[in-house]
Amino acid sequence: MARVGVVGIGHGVFGRRSDASVQELAFEAFRLALADAALEPAAIEATVIAAVPEYHKQRSIAGVVQEYLNLNPKPAWLTEVACASGSAAIRTAWMAIASGLHEVVAVIGCQKMTELDTPEILALMGRVGDVQWESTFGTTFPGYYALFARRHMHEFGTTAEQLALVAVKNHHYGALNEKALFRKEITLEKALASDPVASPMRVYDCCANADGAACLVFAAERRARAISRHPVWLDGVGCATASMSVLRRPDLTGLPSAVEASRQAHAMAGSTPRQVKVAEVHDCFTIAEIMAYEDLGFCAKGEGGAFIADRQAYIGGATPVNVDGGLKAKGHPIGATGVSMACEIVNQLRGEGSKRQVPDADLGLTHNVGGIGQYCFVNVYRRD
Amino acid sequence: MFEWFGRVSFCSHTKVTDFACHLRAGRLVASRCVACGHLAYPPRADCPACLSEDFTYHEISGRGTVHTYTRIDAAPAGFETLSPYVIGVVDLAETGRLLAWFGPSIPESEIAVGMPVQVVPRLFEEIEEIRVYYSLERPEAPGAGAV
Amino acid sequence: MKLGLEGQVALVTGGSRGIGAAIALEFARQGCDVALTCRGRLADAQAVAARVEALGRRALAVQTDVADLAAAEGTVGRVVNELGRLDILVCNAGITWDGVIWKMTEEQWDAVIDTNLKGYFTYNRAAAQVFKEQRRGKIVNVSSINGMRGKFAQSNYAAAKGGNIALTKTLARELGKFDVNVNAVAPGLVMTELAANMPQEFLNKAMNETVLGRIATAEEVAYVVVFLCSEFARHITGEVIKIDGGQYI
Repeated sequence: MARVGVVGIGHGVFGRRSDASVQELAFEAFRLALADAALEPAAIEATVIAAVPEYHKQRSIAGVVQEYLNLNPKPAWLTEVACASGSAAIRTAWMAIASGLHEVVAVIGCQKMTELDTPEILALMGRVGDVQWESTFGTTFPGYYALFARRHMHEFGTTAEQLALVAVKNHHYGALNEKALFRKEITLEKALASDPVASPMRVYDCCANADGAACLVFAAERRARAISRHPVWLDGVGCATASMSVLRRPDLTGLPSAVEASRQAHAMAGSTPRQVKVAEVHDCFTIAEIMAYEDLGFCAKGEGGAFIADRQAYIGGATPVNVDGGLKAKGHPIGATGVSMACEIVNQLRGEGSKRQVPDADLGLTHNVGGIGQYCFVNVYRRD
Repeated sequence: MFEWFGRVSFCSHTKVTDFACHLRAGRLVASRCVACGHLAYPPRADCPACLSEDFTYHEISGRGTVHTYTRIDAAPAGFETLSPYVIGVVDLAETGRLLAWFGPSIPESEIAVGMPVQVVPRLFEEIEEIRVYYSLERPEAPGAGAV
Repeated sequence: MKLGLEGQVALVTGGSRGIGAAIALEFARQGCDVALTCRGRLADAQAVAARVEALGRRALAVQTDVADLAAAEGTVGRVVNELGRLDILVCNAGITWDGVIWKMTEEQWDAVIDTNLKGYFTYNRAAAQVFKEQRRGKIVNVSSINGMRGKFAQSNYAAAKGGNIALTKTLARELGKFDVNVNAVAPGLVMTELAANMPQEFLNKAMNETVLGRIATAEEVAYVVVFLCSEFARHITGEVIKIDGGQYI
């Protein structure tokens, strides 16, 4: 199988983009990625598009994006696994290139979330989990992670303060990321005083909806080395699923899909968690990042609270995590998030992270979760 | 009549539609595979163990322990008038898990992971339509175990 | 006709004479224990109770003001305690106090509304608590065709009797999910002790209004009431059955 590398990245501004349609947002990121790769559009052989359709008025998103990017008649399709759609698109592109079917594939994660009005969004919010046995009782996305947080606190003594410290860190780095939705630091006190959403979680424990797009261009090794002076290799791809329903997951203090996806990715890349120099994890909620430290092996099970409290996830710590602000500060345009994570890792491995550069970043990891953990994709990247 | 189940129904088409009829009659039921005996809660028509589609309903006690819980302050559409409400995830004595609201016998301040509860079948009384649900009550509370 | 009501307990308000007494006795014949209320005629109520007991059933006569909610709840509680259960409520207690509107006093209005309408609210409410908990019950509210049509000099009575019907329909909706049937009967003129004292020309006029050329007996109202409380009428609820010989079609 061919080795697969990233030769171009493009990241649009995440935020309330009432100035643009989803295809226009996609074009912003696409343009940047092509410029970064110094490629013409004609070089793109196929496009894998990541978006979550139910937030758009336009049906068949992949079709309008491919058209607007002026890439007809090249192949294009959508991958959708909730918040992990971006990574699913990346895995698909990897498969397309590793198999030899294509040599250059673009991945575009794009998402509008602000096209819907509040009642429509509130209605969607209530259908995140198993609608047959759970949504009928008014469960919500934060509600599920709150159930995890409560159990984590019960089993390991994790505190509300430790949860809030994750948000403090991510806002610290988001303030340095001009593509992020939120560009201001926050204090621990402010986080702990924010309104309750689903106990024990408060507003500052939760990521925000946003619009945005990001793009990656992948190429097979031979072409990658010709196109780019600093290709970054996608050497490990892992993916696993778990039950949608929390009623069928024995352990609610971690995501079994993440543990398995991580194992697969490292096995394929020949790497270990210790070797990860910089990571992008799915902090849809603060507890999610704490569970990720544990699921990904950055610390022992139950020690995630101590990991953040001891600043081990900051630059200078054992494993810097989400040094671009994470979902918390960037915002979470669902389909784009996985691609955004990869863009940051590629930046870091190229040494182009500037004020947020992790020193000697030679191995990076992305951890992208769909919904409440029914899907997880972990990818391991390496530079030459 | 699965559309009777829950505050808002998102699922009216299911092979286990009679679950709601049993609940209306005051019975909490799991599914039992006729071919291999596999017991499941929530009930399901298709056996995960042997793939058979032949199942019966089997009444369970409703006893369980609290695995985790949360109070929802920001409610989704259709639940605004009920919020805040506390949701519990319960490990059932016989098999499986169940998610439900805590009921009047357990105020929020008394909820603890690991506490024993009784799942009690309920009707939404003050609305016109027939809608059924269940709540988590103290095992010794009056009405616990009654319809 | 055997209706399968053996062993059940019925409460009839205004059961000391007339339609109420006939209803009480018919329930007894059907095998029910019977409780009945009266306002002033305790001796008459006790006589009805004695006839119930003579039929081999238990009886309870209670003197009370039906418009008093706390008293109604007390009476229902007493029935459940002393007779062991409550399956059937028949609200029947009623008075007339006629007068044209421009002369009707507040006292006339209030008295009729209190006994005939509020006195149905109190007992329906008290029984609903019991029926709702046990997921079983039958309620029959005795109304009148004069609650369905205008009757000269009976604005207070018509308002109350019309109100009984609206109450019945609403409660049918509210209590249906608990398997409780709520119906009304609307008699026309019924030959009771009260009616017997009316002038003959009044009785003739009423008889001529009917298409059957006759006046109902109190038993003929009772038969319909007990039927509505049986499982044969399981699927009837929110209904008003006239028992008027076609007096008002």
